[in-house]
Amino acid sequence: MSRPRALYHMVRADFLERVRRYSFLLTLAFSVYLGYAVYAGQFTLQLDKYRGVNNSAWLGSVIGLVASFWLTLVGFYIVKNAIQRDRQTRVGQILATTPISKSFYTLSKALSNFAVLGAMVLVLALAALVIQLSQGADSHIDLFALVSPVLIFGLSAVAVTAALAVLFESLPVLRGGVGNIIYFFLWTALITFGVITLGKGPWFPASSGFRDFTGIASLMGQMQAQVRALDPQYNGNASFSLGGLHSTTETFLWTGLKWTPALLISRGMLFAIAAAIALLAALFFDRFDPARAGWLTAKRQRSTSKSAAPEPAPTQAPAKSFEQSVLDLPQPHLSAAHLTPLLRTGSQAGSRTRFFALVAAELRLLLRGHAWWWSTVAAGLFIACLFSPLDAARSGVLVAAWLWPALIWSQLGTREAQFSTGPLIFSAPHAVPRQLLATYAAGVLVAAITGGGLGLHLLYERDFAGLIAWATGALFIPALALVLGVASGSRKFFEALYTAWWYVGPLHHIRGLDFMGTTAASSTPAPYLAAAVLLMLLAYSWRRVRLAYA
Amino acid sequence: MKLEIQEVSKQYRRGVLALNRFSLELKPGVLGLLGPNGAGKTTLMTILATITRATEGRVLWKGTDVARDPDALRSVLGYLPQDFGVYPNLNAVEFLEYLAAVKGLDAATATRRIDELLELVNLTEVRKRPLGGYSGGMKQRVGIAQALLNDPQLLIVDEPTAGLDPEERVRFRNLLSDLSGERIVILSTHIVSDVEATATDIAIIAKGALVAHAAPEALLRQVEGKVWEWVIPSAELNAAKGRFLVSSTTRRSDGVHVRILGEAAPIGAVPVPPNLEDAYLYCLSQHRAGVQPGVQQ
Repeated sequence: MSRPRALYHMVRADFLERVRRYSFLLTLAFSVYLGYAVYAGQFTLQLDKYRGVNNSAWLGSVIGLVASFWLTLVGFYIVKNAIQRDRQTRVGQILATTPISKSFYTLSKALSNFAVLGAMVLVLALAALVIQLSQGADSHIDLFALVSPVLIFGLSAVAVTAALAVLFESLPVLRGGVGNIIYFFLWTALITFGVITLGKGPWFPASSGFRDFTGIASLMGQMQAQVRALDPQYNGNASFSLGGLHSTTETFLWTGLKWTPALLISRGMLFAIAAAIALLAALFFDRFDPARAGWLTAKRQRSTSKSAAPEPAPTQAPAKSFEQSVLDLPQPHLSAAHLTPLLRTGSQAGSRTRFFALVAAELRLLLRGHAWWWSTVAAGLFIACLFSPLDAARSGVLVAAWLWPALIWSQLGTREAQFSTGPLIFSAPHAVPRQLLATYAAGVLVAAITGGGLGLHLLYERDFAGLIAWATGALFIPALALVLGVASGSRKFFEALYTAWWYVGPLHHIRGLDFMGTTAASSTPAPYLAAAVLLMLLAYSWRRVRLAYA
Repeated sequence: MKLEIQEVSKQYRRGVLALNRFSLELKPGVLGLLGPNGAGKTTLMTILATITRATEGRVLWKGTDVARDPDALRSVLGYLPQDFGVYPNLNAVEFLEYLAAVKGLDAATATRRIDELLELVNLTEVRKRPLGGYSGGMKQRVGIAQALLNDPQLLIVDEPTAGLDPEERVRFRNLLSDLSGERIVILSTHIVSDVEATATDIAIIAKGALVAHAAPEALLRQVEGKVWEWVIPSAELNAAKGRFLVSSTTRRSDGVHVRILGEAAPIGAVPVPPNLEDAYLYCLSQHRAGVQPGVQQ
């Protein structure tokens, strides 16, 4: 089979496997929602007091930016499972025995990721058309002006995301939750880099795709020039934000992006960069070799197996028949008849004790598998919370202390799906409420322990309002993790959402979004307390619906 | 103690009818559940284990509808699914301690039973090794141990010997025989010899329906005088397969020894005593031919 044909079939099979899952419909639904958000005016592009007339060029530009901003963030978490799926389904082991090279494989996965994200971009392009037909002030549809920014900005940006997802999956250290969190900061850096170097950066030529990952600098540059031609007093301010318009009083006629050769080259460079990243991933890809499962895992397994006894060797009896060797088997010292009988009392006190035992077991499960340095850093943050000035501890150290266990909370509600232990657990009596509550309690304990330094500090200072805000955070975070885990069966949704929320809310002390209550001004505990209760009810209902019984 | 399965049907979303008005009544003993791939065995197991709900019909445990009060059954249920996972970072003791807590066992009893069960499934020496490093057979033995944690009155084991080496298979068969005193054990498997060694009752299921339910002896009686051994040249084997129901073939120096099921023997064939595999194949062939086997209890 020729290489292009092999590549086509690898991409096709992977793409079909994904699009035939229900989750793909959710993916497309997210694109439709983005289109609706533009329609409802939730995304706003403005240049000081100016915004564009709702014509094809303006709508296409706004939706193009929405595509390149949001699909590069959310899309990463959607497609970052291409290699993992091959690992889980064990198709990877079959592929590993074929003549395909590692670079061929990683390239095919990047292309398959790109196909999925490309479908989302196409849905947005279609949404652009629908929005102008239903909302546009200008009824004339200029198809090129409407669709070209969506396709060119969107597709070139998601190509990089698609390749980065493969690179992250290939690198053992970035394959799991750490990678999910790091990508958020990488994405933030890429976005920021494009904006802050607009017209300033001497390091890269203007055509560099690296500088303007989303295309915002190119787009804004041309828009600014057009507004400046209309209004020489224009101060150069420009923003693209989530939320309603802020004091725009004037409109201007945006005639559309001029696709200069330099701009097209810069977008084309993103495809080249994406290909390079996909090929780079091949250097780290383990080709499904279990012996190269990643140094972290391997190191852990080595250290835990040092003390372990080897599997008992089978009885050596080469000269005997099978029947004879069975008769000679070392028999256990006891038989089933000698097992300790069970007292089925069902008393309330016993039931309480057993619940605490379950919480302890859940807590042990959550904390198991983390290296010593994880605990050392957590202890350091605890001490820093305790001994830093109260304001600094609350607004700074706690923010770090409650980001640190994100990968622990992200396990909540997902383990049963991840490790296929559901049938063992949910065939136990009262398993749904007991196990769910115990898991949640373990998550709250993690919050109470890691942020406990501040809790004690607030108690010592008799800052009860602060203590309520702290306790609310400790109750809310595990509830959020649990509901996302139960609903998705995957850790990455919490990891992505929590990191983004942590960045926007607590880190910047934004009132209404600060669920940790990092300052007195930004603290709003009541709604988060109510949300924690609601989320727990939602998690319980979801699990009940998923399982036929309970 | 009685488990009644009354007219149970299960239809999946895409219209696949996995079980069709399936009825069975079980009393203490080991029921061997046999059937071809896709017969509905695992669906029946998951319904009995309260993992999924029947579309129609009822399952009664000691007279209580399991759909209405699943916890009445769950508190005395041991279940070993066909596919299950373990937490790779825990060792066998920790994993069983966790499941004991989920099942509501008190700590002291759990500790004792875990030690005893690990001894019983021959994992005492590796009890502190993380489960992630266990072989498939060792994980299966952990699964067997967890199913017995709560001293179940109803033990459901789905393909329990899959992945076990021959010695461990024998050990497990012996364990099942020991267990089958005052409890109901349902053993679903493809391996007829496992059933032959342990089952006090056999149910054969095909296309979601009960084909036969009888004691092994009754099944064997049904096929008495209908099993033949025929020695033919290997060149004639394909033709023989086209004409007769062949249950097994063995190549020897004098030709191929073909085991045939049928009312009449071909010329040169000699009668041989039937085994359970012959009885099973005979029942299925009768079912496919539209004849109801005469061993229904």
